[in-house]
Amino acid sequence: MTLEIIIAGRGGQGILLTGYLLGKALVKKGYYVVNSEMYSAETRGGFSRSDLIVFPSEAEIDIIKVRKADIAIFMYKDQMHSYAEYVKPDAQLIILDGTFIEEPAKPWPRVLKVPFTRLAEEKVGTYRVANVFMLGVFSYVTGLVDPETMEEIIKTSVRPKWIEINLKAFDAGYNYAKENLEKVEIKL
Amino acid sequence: MTVQVPKLEYRHRVDDLLRTERLPHVWCPGCGIGITLQAFLRAVKALEAKGVIDRKQLVFVTGIGCTGRASGYVRLDGAHTPHGRPIAYAYGVKLANPKLVPVVFSGDGDLAGIGGNHLLHAARRNFDMLVIMVNNFNYALTGGQLAPTTPHGAYSTTTPKGNPERPMDVARLVAALGANYVARWSIHYPVHIEESVKRALPRRGFRFIEVVSICPEIFGRHIGFRSPVDFYERLRKVAKVRKPKALEEIKYDWEDEITLGVFVDKDEPGYMESICQVYNYDWCKELPERRWSKQ
Amino acid sequence: MARREFLTGNEAMAEAAIAAGLRVFIGYPITPASDLFEYLAEKLPSYGGVVFQAEDEIAAINALVGATYAGAKAMTATSGPGFSLMAESLGLAAMLEAPIVIVYNMRTGPSTGIATGTGQGDVMQSRWASHGHYGVVVYSPWSVQEAYNLVVKAFDTAWRLRVPTIVLSDAVIAHTRELAVVYEPGEVKVADRKPPREPPGEFKPFKPDPDDLVPPMAFYGEGYAVLAESLVHDERGYYTTDPENYERLVKRLEEKITRNKHHVVSSEARYTEDAETVIVAFGTLARSALALVKDLRKQGKKVGLWRPVSIWPLDEEGLSKAVEHADRVIVAEMNLGQLYREVARILGPTGRKIELVPVLTPELPGPDELLGYFRKAGVEI
Repeated sequence: MTLEIIIAGRGGQGILLTGYLLGKALVKKGYYVVNSEMYSAETRGGFSRSDLIVFPSEAEIDIIKVRKADIAIFMYKDQMHSYAEYVKPDAQLIILDGTFIEEPAKPWPRVLKVPFTRLAEEKVGTYRVANVFMLGVFSYVTGLVDPETMEEIIKTSVRPKWIEINLKAFDAGYNYAKENLEKVEIKL
Repeated sequence: MTVQVPKLEYRHRVDDLLRTERLPHVWCPGCGIGITLQAFLRAVKALEAKGVIDRKQLVFVTGIGCTGRASGYVRLDGAHTPHGRPIAYAYGVKLANPKLVPVVFSGDGDLAGIGGNHLLHAARRNFDMLVIMVNNFNYALTGGQLAPTTPHGAYSTTTPKGNPERPMDVARLVAALGANYVARWSIHYPVHIEESVKRALPRRGFRFIEVVSICPEIFGRHIGFRSPVDFYERLRKVAKVRKPKALEEIKYDWEDEITLGVFVDKDEPGYMESICQVYNYDWCKELPERRWSKQ
Repeated sequence: MARREFLTGNEAMAEAAIAAGLRVFIGYPITPASDLFEYLAEKLPSYGGVVFQAEDEIAAINALVGATYAGAKAMTATSGPGFSLMAESLGLAAMLEAPIVIVYNMRTGPSTGIATGTGQGDVMQSRWASHGHYGVVVYSPWSVQEAYNLVVKAFDTAWRLRVPTIVLSDAVIAHTRELAVVYEPGEVKVADRKPPREPPGEFKPFKPDPDDLVPPMAFYGEGYAVLAESLVHDERGYYTTDPENYERLVKRLEEKITRNKHHVVSSEARYTEDAETVIVAFGTLARSALALVKDLRKQGKKVGLWRPVSIWPLDEEGLSKAVEHADRVIVAEMNLGQLYREVARILGPTGRKIELVPVLTPELPGPDELLGYFRKAGVEI
């Protein structure tokens, strides 16, 4: 079965990198992944969206952009409202950055609201790694990608001077989830 | 009417560099392209005799126009490219096989008009090639239209009341862009042209030789010098050999002076050596310009 | 060794060119092709190849032709505005039978259009940009992996047939990441030139072999005094206005492609075995069309998809076979009917109903939006 993931937020929140890292990790796990991007012309402050479609095999590929997401990750409220229509009403998991989002746009059944940006600032020292902190949470909660794979992907994909802080953010997110959150079984 | 073409019974010393089966050529009686081409070919022979160059490494590239037709007669590797593009074509030749030495041979309309952008950037890059530009003041092959080199006030078929524009001094422009070698001669100085080619052909970087020519059949007819001798004499009045101390002293003025001479003669690294400063390609040690210029 | 990579289409096409033996890349920055250039600028020199940023696309294509005559596998990458500038010397490449490869990432046109948008408006431009009648081969990928495969194939076709070959991709492929299996140089099969069989003096650079109509190729520097003549030329490369020679040359430039089309044409049919309606779409839009076909199948409708992989020439036999059981053919494309004309030309005489669904948007529509365009065009399905 195909799994559709949408990740969206403001420009500058590292949305595209998040999609890239997650996609690369899923490819490493053997899935066929399609990752397309949409963003506004502004380098900072516009919108940013990364779509991931996970196919069990190459023979099954079709769509390039998310049609109706099974998993949605919204890091900012404006984009949650913009793209809520692309999320299945019974989506498997909705992840929201509680720093910027108070209420889900729709009555989705499984919503996980975590203040990623605030926690990244508190636990890692900079809000700029909120995206990778979120990936740590995602890794623990969904079990779709194990932390070892994710760490290896970070090491080989991020600019050298940013590797350490990103690994720290990933661990912090993973550990936070382990202590505070329940696992969610994702059907794929 | 049948034209009787006399059979060639003598051998010229540059015949082995010509596709003689293609003669006679298209150029008009009195045209200066032949003088320029022969000077170039003599220089090639002389350099080859001295063991400086190997003709197999030369690629003779021309554009469109009277001068552009030269590639059809020269027995070297070569190309007859679309209008304005011989320099662009030569980039690819050199990049693909740095052991080759491109020689661009074309007219003022082709190189300074439609191909002007390539001329600018090739000179700016000091890109390794020799460019010989025959300047006949107009677009002759198409019947005498305005060129970037046409003197101010001169008649052309597209400026029937006289050229309102200012002409371009191409040699001075190329010199200003930092080319390694820049010279301008007129067809009154065939030996000087040959000596310039001998000096510039084995050199690295961008080398530019302008040859101010006469075009009695087209441009001459339009401006009142229908006879080759009249045109030749009129040009001689203004074509003055000088050694300018600064680029500002170089003139391109049909009424006053067209400065001739060697304007730039230096030996800075060309484009190919510049990329060798960044990347260590296998061919970096074998650039022919490096070897040839030492001999 | 094959590597599994997660690459954008542009990165994959750059990797493919390296694997195919690229020696010279000449580019000019343009959206959405610049990142292919940037990727090669980082990587190609370590494989011994050269990248060069030309002053414009006109310089780029002329330099490419010169590079192939000097013996190098050479490529450029551009989009519509750049390709428009290349038009004149695309004809030069065809006339000189120069094996150049062009990656052509379509964006939203006409004119500057929407630089970051995608498009499919250049089907005809890719075939007929230059003046006169000449031959080119054009492939169109629908995925990152296929973009990789088709760039390798493009080098093979270009060198096998001595014909300019274009990979007509788009902005979506260019920037979408997918899994791609990539190889190192020497691990993929790409044709090389046929070397001259006669010595200098006897060799004629434009004398075709009678079987495949492709002339052997001498490179510059090998002593053959090859003249690459842009004017109409005879087998020696000499300009001639002889009408018989002209007819023979122009016919051959096209015929060498049709005669060797078993090396060239390619298409894919899905769900067409019993299809009463066949949707024709190419490139990334065919991905949405496939999803739509699957939806319609679930509703019990006998719908299939046929997509050309080679756009010029089309796999006419493949198309005819795909529509065997269909009385209705619907062409959906992101323009006002370009591929449609070819499909109508091929299938029109069979009496089938051939309909057009124009999809004019700078964003690739998903299957739901695509269905909306069907309705907008009055095409019920």
